[in-house]
Amino acid sequence: MSADSADILTCEAMAIGHGNKVIMDRLTFGLAPGKILAVVGPSGCGKSTLMRALGGLDEPLAGTSTLFGINLVTASSKDRAALLRRTGFLFQGSALFSSLTLLENVEMPMREFLQAPKREIRQLAEYKLALVGLADAMDKLPSEISGGMAKRAGIARAIALDPEVIFLDEPNAGLDPMSSGRLDELILRIRESFGTTVVLVSHEVSSILRIADLCVYLDPDVGTMGAYAAPKTFLQAGNHAKAHAFFTQTV
Amino acid sequence: MTDGLMRVVIGGAWRLDDPLPTIAVKGDRVRIESLDLTFFDSSLPAWIFGNFKNVRQLDLSSLPPRLQSLVRMAEKASVNDHLGDAPGVLAQFGSWGVESADSWGRSFNHIGNTFMGFARALVGRAKVNWMDFALQLQTAGVDALPIVALLGFLTGLIMAYVGLIQLRQVGATVYVANLVSLAMTREMGALMTGVIACGRTSTAFASQLGSMNVSQETDALRALGINPIEYLAVPRILAVTLMVPLLATFATFIGVFGGMIVACAGDLSIEQYLTQAVRAITFKSFLVGFIKSIAFGFIAAWAGCYRGSVAKRSALGVGEAATSAAVLGITLIVVSDALFAVIFNLFNL
Repeated sequence: MSADSADILTCEAMAIGHGNKVIMDRLTFGLAPGKILAVVGPSGCGKSTLMRALGGLDEPLAGTSTLFGINLVTASSKDRAALLRRTGFLFQGSALFSSLTLLENVEMPMREFLQAPKREIRQLAEYKLALVGLADAMDKLPSEISGGMAKRAGIARAIALDPEVIFLDEPNAGLDPMSSGRLDELILRIRESFGTTVVLVSHEVSSILRIADLCVYLDPDVGTMGAYAAPKTFLQAGNHAKAHAFFTQTV
Repeated sequence: MTDGLMRVVIGGAWRLDDPLPTIAVKGDRVRIESLDLTFFDSSLPAWIFGNFKNVRQLDLSSLPPRLQSLVRMAEKASVNDHLGDAPGVLAQFGSWGVESADSWGRSFNHIGNTFMGFARALVGRAKVNWMDFALQLQTAGVDALPIVALLGFLTGLIMAYVGLIQLRQVGATVYVANLVSLAMTREMGALMTGVIACGRTSTAFASQLGSMNVSQETDALRALGINPIEYLAVPRILAVTLMVPLLATFATFIGVFGGMIVACAGDLSIEQYLTQAVRAITFKSFLVGFIKSIAFGFIAAWAGCYRGSVAKRSALGVGEAATSAAVLGITLIVVSDALFAVIFNLFNL
């Protein structure tokens, strides 16, 4: 359960919450590069809050959290900004900018961080959209596409700068089984091709079992992590009773 | 290039931050090979995909497997949901016509439903949010007093200034009081207040109702068996329709006062100005302005509620709804003002 020095992200006795209210504490684990970690637990237990803290969007209330070996608690705002260049986020509602086309959405982080000319940025953005299967929808506005397409466009934007870690908040939420399956496949392909580390928050047990290497179960009853293991181990009775119940009751 | 086959050799390090080379692709058969390729990120597959995607026969077999996979991933058949073909000019024109007709239909439907809502509220059969009504009396009415006062005052002041310049030429400066009083009572008081209501209240209503559309709050009301027009639009429209005439009356008197400042700074005494003003403001003129302001209040509030209720479900849609509410409200107010002029003329008012 404890963090390893080779881990790309770690947290040590970390507490998370809103304002001064702690919702989870004593969180200690690490994640090796290229692995897929699923954060699971009942609704409202702090999964998304944990993901934001791990990604450096929010500060933990206590303890330490490191990303690429940099302590997020003590890092300067300049260091934090540099970290964001190496990470990508997919938010729950995709968070695509509604006034921009899909292509412009993917181009936006490139324009911010790359010195490349417009033509090259366009080429890169077109490639990223083609990777997620949206080659024919580049000029569409977010309001003109389906929820599944919006999720994939959100992933294209998240991987725009070849991040080493991507954080996905409920990527399968609201998708039909076919779209959900395609999205799982896409996440696996991104990991295989780019060696990207993935942290995802999800309720979809079938999806977690399919793609995640590790799973952290947040237990709101005790206010800390109830288990940290490969998701398949939670299917066996006798292992981590609450996590087992969570996995088997939803399968 | 040999036998129509273009051979491209790539090597070195390829990074997102480095400039990409340009290449002129010749022929429809290309073989890409690597030599001393030390590092690559997505810039290399993006470069290959961008430059060679239209090549009929692209041979990548001698490239590292990971690079091949990254290019092939992008080339794979699109899995988009059905988007349909891009429409032609004629189809676009047809769509515009149909959408315009739909838009008119929706607006008449909304007006009809609004009146039905008022009727149902009158007999106590509508679920109206009376808390909203009280809140709107405050925000659309009382809170608008400072801006109405400022613009009313300046309108009267400007009219008096322009009137004085003209009337001085014929030695009739005393009639500047008649000009300002009559114009403010019959026309400018109601018109200015209506325009302010469009800028302040219509846009606010469109944003509020548009945001509720985005967050599916209006759907939730429908699911609960509550008519959103009765619950959301009726109290807002009623509040503004009641408050705009009061604000217009206030603007009228402030405007007359503004005119007095200019007139008395010039050729008239306060007594002269007030005597002329009281003579000019007849009950008929006051009634004309009052009726207009009731209509303008209704139009301003209805435009905001209507545009908000048909807003697209996105942040952009809410912004568009707010803008179009102001434009629609002001346009309808000016058009109806012209109609009122004709109607009141017919009835000698």
